[in-house]
Amino acid sequence: MPDTEPGRMATMPRLMLEMRGVAKRFGANEVLRGVSLSVPRGQTVVVIGPSGSGKTTLLRCINMLEDYEAGIVAVDGVPIGYAVDEKSGRRQRMAERAIAAARETIGIVFQSYNLFPHMSVLSNIIAAPIRVKGVSRPQAETRARELLAMVGLSDKEKEYPARLSGGQQQRVAIARALAMEPKIMLFDEVTSALDPELVGEVLAAMRQLARDGMTMVVVTHEMSFARDVADRVVFMDGGVIVEEGPPETMFSTPKTERVRQFLKRHNDRYRI
Amino acid sequence: MRTFAPLIHGYWYLLRGAGMTLLMAGASVVPATLLGMLFALGQIFGGRISRAAIVTYIFVVRGIPLLVLLTFVYYLLPLTGIDLPPFWGVVLVMACYYAAFMAEVFRAGILSLPQAQWDAARGLGMNRRQMLWIVIFPQAFRLAAPPFVNLCANLIKATSLVSVVGLWELTMASREIVERTLAPFQIFIGAAFLYFCMCFALSRYGKYLEGRVLAGH
Ligand SMILES: Nc1ncnc2c1ncn2[C@@H]1O[C@H](COP(=O)(O)OP(=O)(O)OP(=O)(O)O)[C@@H](O)[C@H]1O
Ligand SMILES: [Mg+2]
Repeated sequence: MPDTEPGRMATMPRLMLEMRGVAKRFGANEVLRGVSLSVPRGQTVVVIGPSGSGKTTLLRCINMLEDYEAGIVAVDGVPIGYAVDEKSGRRQRMAERAIAAARETIGIVFQSYNLFPHMSVLSNIIAAPIRVKGVSRPQAETRARELLAMVGLSDKEKEYPARLSGGQQQRVAIARALAMEPKIMLFDEVTSALDPELVGEVLAAMRQLARDGMTMVVVTHEMSFARDVADRVVFMDGGVIVEEGPPETMFSTPKTERVRQFLKRHNDRYRI
Repeated sequence: MRTFAPLIHGYWYLLRGAGMTLLMAGASVVPATLLGMLFALGQIFGGRISRAAIVTYIFVVRGIPLLVLLTFVYYLLPLTGIDLPPFWGVVLVMACYYAAFMAEVFRAGILSLPQAQWDAARGLGMNRRQMLWIVIFPQAFRLAAPPFVNLCANLIKATSLVSVVGLWELTMASREIVERTLAPFQIFIGAAFLYFCMCFALSRYGKYLEGRVLAGH
């Protein structure tokens, strides 16, 4: 598969995200132990797994919010974080500027929204397109209003984050990430901090995004979302991918005992 | 009313002294703030050497009384042959002294921002400069504003020490009137009142800023 090799610019790699052998430790704690994950263009991969299994760390390694000791990551065939030297085959950390530039192609949404509290909703969305990408202000504002309409918040553009509900803040955070026109979106338990009645509105925005053909990696405990939207479900435990497959088979006939137990415990907890 | 006659006669002189106090404080605050910011940034983002140097500087300065520093420089400057007018000599000392405290205020402001804000900024592809100017500084300055204003009030009061090295300001003006009128209580009540007004205005402003920070603006 020469067209998917990171570091080589292929015309149109089939894989939008390719991680190979990513390993990460915090001190003595090996959090990722050689994770390889590929996401084809336009597909949605849902990552599930018990608490502490390394799901957040996995997402943060994809856009180098977290440095990692081994492995490589490429988005749309372009390496981010580490490039492999053609001759020696050695892995080399990219320059900080190059990493920042590569991050523009990856949108990330956090569990705790992380909006900029000193900026209005509109400013939150247009800040990076204008200052980082050099988009003109009118153009950025037009796009921001389209995105706000898409997440159903057209009337909130002048509001400050503190005055929005959690669900509204999270939808602004999604719009903010999309405003950079990323090639792939990462979602880290974006509904976990929300009151139950606000979860639906955020998931709806994500469903829409998946339908529109965005490539997504979604860490979530929302199994119904996984069942409906995921092209593939990945189960992580102890820093490795234990099992992956289409949602139908993962949820009905998982191959491993660990997945079976996780799903059983999960269902016991969430079913009344 | 006769008791306060010396104060009434000397009020214009005292006000001029207060003006000088404000001038001196203002001239010191500007470089102290800039230097303090520089120290804060150097301490957070600098290399090992610059960090160690700044930490040492802050540690030493905070351990010396301002009065000692003022007197020391007052005697030292002539020996070095540097021909600095006393006013600017004092401003220099005050700026260097308060920079150490300003540095702590700004450092605390920057460090008290949650890691999540940095993550969000980096996640949008911002480089270090953009993160600082777009996301970190505007918030850190807001957080630092109340303690900063308090420090300014502190600095105004500290200018009363410079009368010791012969500079004329509110405290010196008061002493001069006292020498002429032999009415220390009335005059110093007047001086205290003027100091209080300057600092009270600032601390009210500080409280107002604090309220705004807590309200999340
Ligand atoms: N900044 C950090 N410093 C030290 N250890 C960390 C750090 N971040 C995560 N860890 C550790 O790494 C392991 C994996 O954490 P991670 O947050 O990736 O798990 P997770 O799968 O996202 O869990 P959850 O479902 O609770 O969000 C945990 O043991 C955690 O304690
Ligand atoms: Mg997590």
